[in-house]
Amino acid sequence: MKTRVLLVDDHGLFLAGVRAELGDSVEVVGEAGTVADAVPLIKELDPDVVLLDVHLPDGSGDAIINAVAAERPGVKFLALSVSDAAEDVIAVIRAGARGYVTKTIAADELAAAIERVAHGDAVFSPRLAGFVLDAFRAGETVASDAELNELTPREREVLQLIARGYMYKEIAARLHLSVKTIESHVSSVLRKLQLSTRHELTRWATEHRLV
Amino acid sequence: MRLRSFRTSADGRALAGVCAGIAEALSVDVSLVRLIFALLALAGGAGIVLYLALWAWSRAQGTWWAVLLLLVAGALLLSAVGLSHRAVGGIVLVAAGLTLAWRQGGSFRAEAPLSYAGMALAGIGAIVLLAQGSAPSRLLAPGAVAGALLLIAGPWLWRLALERDAERATRIRTEERADVAGRVHDSVLQTLALIQRHASEPRRVASLARRQERELRGWLYADRPLGDDGSSLVAALSTAAADVEELHGVRVEIASAGDAPPDNALLLAAREAMTNAAKFAGVEEIDVYVEASEHETAVFVRDRGVGFDVATAPEGRQGIRESIKGRLERAGGTAVVTSVPGEGTEVELRLPR
Repeated sequence: MKTRVLLVDDHGLFLAGVRAELGDSVEVVGEAGTVADAVPLIKELDPDVVLLDVHLPDGSGDAIINAVAAERPGVKFLALSVSDAAEDVIAVIRAGARGYVTKTIAADELAAAIERVAHGDAVFSPRLAGFVLDAFRAGETVASDAELNELTPREREVLQLIARGYMYKEIAARLHLSVKTIESHVSSVLRKLQLSTRHELTRWATEHRLV
Repeated sequence: MRLRSFRTSADGRALAGVCAGIAEALSVDVSLVRLIFALLALAGGAGIVLYLALWAWSRAQGTWWAVLLLLVAGALLLSAVGLSHRAVGGIVLVAAGLTLAWRQGGSFRAEAPLSYAGMALAGIGAIVLLAQGSAPSRLLAPGAVAGALLLIAGPWLWRLALERDAERATRIRTEERADVAGRVHDSVLQTLALIQRHASEPRRVASLARRQERELRGWLYADRPLGDDGSSLVAALSTAAADVEELHGVRVEIASAGDAPPDNALLLAAREAMTNAAKFAGVEEIDVYVEASEHETAVFVRDRGVGFDVATAPEGRQGIRESIKGRLERAGGTAVVTSVPGEGTEVELRLPR
């Protein structure tokens, strides 16, 4: 069965492009251009994955996640953005999105990312990986929840390779691990990113723009 | 002005609704207005004439006989207050003149001869007032003249000020639009024209679009200058990447963790690695990752292209040996090139801090 995808973006031209690029690899069940339109549509259609623009005319992507997540816990969100302040990207991830990719991503990679997110794994663009490494930089020791606030050496290694532009299966081959293991490392990083109390996360995000 | 839109009121009227209308227009109690009119009616019948005049005015606003009635009412009123006939005559003349001038567009610019006639009339009225001789009128007269001038010129000045404000707002808007139009013309429209002319060359089109995107971003997000300000390795690398993108029609994605001051050897070596990837790998996208820690700065340049056998690299690949390895080693760093035919190439540059 094909993954059922809902597109949320206010740029019609871009929506049409994504739809064409994805072709038959997924089933696009609907489109929305605003937060107000997207929320009821997601509740109605219950898609597997929502491809979410970070900036919408009437709010940001995290507003949709916050409005929907409790009622439709099965829906996965993948953030897709063209130009964005880091704080918005982080807001979307912390609200519960399972990944973030840029709009320049190649069509096949986007399809792969959607599949990955549909299966509950995480997807990081190189830029987001760089950001996470920066924000989780060693040095600061936090007494409470150390596990959530530190990356393991292996996670660091995996993120570094993502930042360098490696794909999961290339990373797996290089580290002599299975793709499944790489996926679980990335998911674990995502969890830390969502739950961590490291203040660098918010500070970094307000100081930088991921343009 | 409120009185301009004065209407008799059908609600709660006793006679023609004049009092109720005034009460409505001035938002005061109607009984108060009626009381005033009743008192005025006692003063030589002025109240009655005034009532009729206002009623006529509300029926046929601005007609000469309505104005005339108002003037007569005013004259009766003034006589009732105790002014001499000459004073009343002068004041009525001034009022009539002003009315004439006002009705002709309310400004000096009114070309109609009637407005000059009105001013002349007002002037005569003023002279009559001045020549009248009684002490209170003498004191009153200069004020009346000044008031008259203000009444004539006021609307004109007011309109002048309004026009100037509107003009200025329009000018600012026009200037802003011209600024945006200028930028769009110099950049976006030019690029679109170029794209149309090179529609059959996808690489060129992509590189044009990419450059335009970068420029537009730089302009829109001016708070975070994309240009190289000389203090950041990431910024300097972005500039270098932009050059490579433009020259070779590829896309360079830069990710970073941390930043460092720019280092010339590192920068030039990274640029050379990007250029090599763009020229030889046969890919559209190159990934660059910068990682800066307290101990070292590392730059990774990766492509997923054709790759080559590093051991048997042809002599012509001088770029790697000299521009990349030699340069980095002289600066005290290391450069490692890994490549697998068919899988791509990665250049790893490390420089201790």
